[in-house]
Amino acid sequence: MRDGHWHVMGRQTGPGRSSAEPRPRWPGVAAVVSLVIVVAACGIAGQGASPASTGSPDGPGPQTSSPAATVASSPTAPSGESAAPTGDTDPSPSAGATDTPSTAPAATPAGQLSFANWPLYIDIDEETGGYPTLEKFEQESGIDVTYAEDINANEEFFGRLQPDLAAGNPTGYDLIVMTDWMIERMARLGYLQELDHSLLPNFEANAEDLFRDAWYDPENRYSIPWQAGIVGIAYNPTLTGRPITTFDDLLDPEFAGRVGMFSEMRDTMSMALLSLGVEPVNATIEDVERARDKLLGPAQEGQFRAFYGNDYYDALAAGDLAITIAWSGDISQMKLYDNADVEFIVPESGGLLWVDSAAIPKAAEHPVDAHMVLDYFYDVDNAAPLTEYVGYFSPVRGVPDRVREDAQAARDEGDDEWADQLEIIADTAFPDEEQLENVFEYKRLSEEEERTWNELFGEVVTD
Amino acid sequence: MPRRLRRSTPYLFLLPGGLWLVAFFVVPMVVMASVSLQEGSLGSGYSLTWNFPIYGEVLSDWAPQIVRSLWYALTVTVLTLLIGYPIAYTIAFRGGRAKTILLLLVILPFFTAFIIRTLSWKLILADNGFLLGSLKEIGLLDPAFRVLATPAAVISGLTYNFLPFMVLPLYVALERIDRHLLEAGEDLYASRLQTFLRVTLPLSMPGVFAGSLLVFIPAIGDFINAAILGSRDTTMIGNVIQRLFIQNNAYPEAAALGFVLMAAVLALVAIYARWVGSDALTRG
Amino acid sequence: MKAPLRRKPLGSRLAHAVLPVYTALAVLYLFIPIVVMVAFSFNDPRGRQNITWQGFTAQNYLDVWSRPDVTGPMITSLIVAVVATLGATVLGTLIGLALTRYQFRGRGPTNLLIYVPMATPEVILGASLLTLWVTAGVQRGLLTIIITHVMFNISYVVVTVRARIAGFDRALEEAAMDLGADGWTTFRKVTFPLILPGIVAAGLLAFVLSIDDYVITSFVSGQTRTFPLWVFGASRFGVPPEVNVLGTLIFVVAFATIAAQIVWARRRQGTELARSRRVAS
Repeated sequence: MRDGHWHVMGRQTGPGRSSAEPRPRWPGVAAVVSLVIVVAACGIAGQGASPASTGSPDGPGPQTSSPAATVASSPTAPSGESAAPTGDTDPSPSAGATDTPSTAPAATPAGQLSFANWPLYIDIDEETGGYPTLEKFEQESGIDVTYAEDINANEEFFGRLQPDLAAGNPTGYDLIVMTDWMIERMARLGYLQELDHSLLPNFEANAEDLFRDAWYDPENRYSIPWQAGIVGIAYNPTLTGRPITTFDDLLDPEFAGRVGMFSEMRDTMSMALLSLGVEPVNATIEDVERARDKLLGPAQEGQFRAFYGNDYYDALAAGDLAITIAWSGDISQMKLYDNADVEFIVPESGGLLWVDSAAIPKAAEHPVDAHMVLDYFYDVDNAAPLTEYVGYFSPVRGVPDRVREDAQAARDEGDDEWADQLEIIADTAFPDEEQLENVFEYKRLSEEEERTWNELFGEVVTD
Repeated sequence: MPRRLRRSTPYLFLLPGGLWLVAFFVVPMVVMASVSLQEGSLGSGYSLTWNFPIYGEVLSDWAPQIVRSLWYALTVTVLTLLIGYPIAYTIAFRGGRAKTILLLLVILPFFTAFIIRTLSWKLILADNGFLLGSLKEIGLLDPAFRVLATPAAVISGLTYNFLPFMVLPLYVALERIDRHLLEAGEDLYASRLQTFLRVTLPLSMPGVFAGSLLVFIPAIGDFINAAILGSRDTTMIGNVIQRLFIQNNAYPEAAALGFVLMAAVLALVAIYARWVGSDALTRG
Repeated sequence: MKAPLRRKPLGSRLAHAVLPVYTALAVLYLFIPIVVMVAFSFNDPRGRQNITWQGFTAQNYLDVWSRPDVTGPMITSLIVAVVATLGATVLGTLIGLALTRYQFRGRGPTNLLIYVPMATPEVILGASLLTLWVTAGVQRGLLTIIITHVMFNISYVVVTVRARIAGFDRALEEAAMDLGADGWTTFRKVTFPLILPGIVAAGLLAFVLSIDDYVITSFVSGQTRTFPLWVFGASRFGVPPEVNVLGTLIFVVAFATIAAQIVWARRRQGTELARSRRVAS
């Protein structure tokens, strides 16, 4: 067939007209193809120390300590080092800097910082397009922050940084914000720097207990929270016709085809585990198999409309979904602006607390500056404007009260619309007692467990 | 032109583009081929074990999705051809001076971000939205009827998004056809239809061939339409590869599945080329 | 256009109308999502999601200029698309010419080299390129994005240009040569004008592919943001109406440019026609 293919291609491109000319028959096509591949292979061998032969592969994932990559990384290293001296010339030990082996080279800021975050995840001045609170930090600290809305999705961002992290190269970012489970994975793989808590006095003083020492990062060794929320259930009472209280309502055949699930494995599987009475942290593989079984039957019968990412919001607001797994912060927005009918509940069997956390990638060049900006946002004065823009849970104590004060101030000034919005945000800037009683943590998964969970979940997601 | 120069001309033409493809496509692909034959994990690292059986495993694991993708891509190719041919024909033969404008009108919608286009479609086609909602209200549609999250939604999404890939090469091939040939055809044959079938269509075959390739090949590996417009039972092979790679970090499986897909596509292209090549094209 | 009419006038006239009407409907269909996009560029959403109609405003069109987070990626995307389109069109057209106009050894591997990139899943392409850059110690950014876009566009250009050149009448070129034109002149005066529509069409395709690519770009972009990357990330929290504004503006500008060009061409044609008439009389 191969030869036929090439032959035909030749014919197709020179139709009829020149058919009188003798046409090469390509007897050596296979040889030429293999030559191309060999040449190509040599090409890659020339790029670094032949990865295939050393057995240290270069998939975006595959290299933990690939000699090829480390050799190749050397060109980038000097630029990193050259950047350091500008700020590190005076290594005077700053206040109580405990020895932090190889993580924070010196407790002196370098004067610059590269911060990657999700789009629209910090307060933006809609008039000027600037980041007011961050700009205030720059003025106060003299640190020049390159703030980039570079993160589109946890997995994708991980995939983009992974080869450099595995090779020990600087990623170009000093601070990144990832969701809890990804923080856990990156810490487990050794891709994150340990934090120096002596540089985080505001965090020590102001962090809510709920956001300290969490499952994904005991003692906040590698990360501190940025914003958080709850995974629960949202439903549209006019479409369901009754109040929803349990996870099993998602599986009610009455709602077939109008139920949304998350494509995020940990969310969907952990919610299903809770509905089986299993706390995710204690879940065994057998439990996960039971969760798979619980979802698989309904999935095969078309119970779920689709497995959604962020786009569940549109489907729910538009009325395509009657009931779905949902994120808390979204629904308060939706009630306010896009669909007043929709309700958010934490099901009887329990919901999940998710936390987006900030961390410093391994080999980051300006870790001290990164600590400083993190700590800055744990000052209520700076955390409140952030929450007022973003609208999720704030990990900083006192933020809801501050937002409420700002709402009152806005009302006094006659800006009722802004005041209304701030009041909603104040009410949802921290989970209430009732929610907290029934909110659980995700499980730390080993790589092996994660693979099994993914495979089991894959059966549910894919036909 | 000196004979020696003339003989080397094709290679000179090929050289820059060819080198580009070798450096930035072939070389990385060789690396990927090696990844597909490795075993290991992120934590412990991967090593090359020449694990060829993985190709059989992924093929048997994901055969239904491969077949479904083939089926969708074929349907989409035929649909774009049926929808696109009259458009290209009209622009080429009846567009007059507005040819360029018309052609541009067909392309312009695709200058906007995919997400915005798709979001728009989701708003329009929402179960109780502007379109279906009003039809349901006046009783023309069953209340349970829906377009989104069905195979039809995925196929129409693909058809919409790949239509320009069919129209452009068709237009390019049709526009080239000498009008005098058509007039001669009209003199020779009794009907317009016959002229079309015997003159225009055969002469436009290079366009049909090119358009089919430009639609079929990317459509079969597409995952975005199925991800946004589809449901569980519309999972395409592109979605599987995407999930294996990005979410499960199962790099070897994803790479192997990618190569399986590429091989399948090339085999089909070869068959198609032989079919078209031995029939209509040679008559040009 | 005055095509010779030989069949029954009425039926023929009706039949004559079918195609233009069909094409008009097809263009309308293509524009449906654009209409929604333009409409929502005038929306005044008070929440963060721009999906339900909440009132008319033109304010978005003023605000957009002070949103570098929105305009920056758009500018990057335009730069990438323009440069990558030019690069890929030149390289691809040369390959297309070689494949259709010349006999040479190695046509098979060349064909393989053209079709395989189109058949490669995007994640695989993106990930393998990322590995290449990391291994070679190259910082990712604008340059790597452009290189990558040129790479995946070449195949599309070759296939499209080929559709134009295949079956191309060599006699014209030979006639030019017989008349004493050298190779370059023949190419410039005969070959190039003949294949130009193919090149333009290929360029348009490349541009569309480039400006909308998400998956491959996400791997090779480093810290550079293109428009699709930003919009995708923003969709987690709600895409602001300024995004629709930019989409609308690009649409309008592209359309106006082409319209102006055509008007200009027509006017020039008109004056030339008038001049030749004067000469003739």
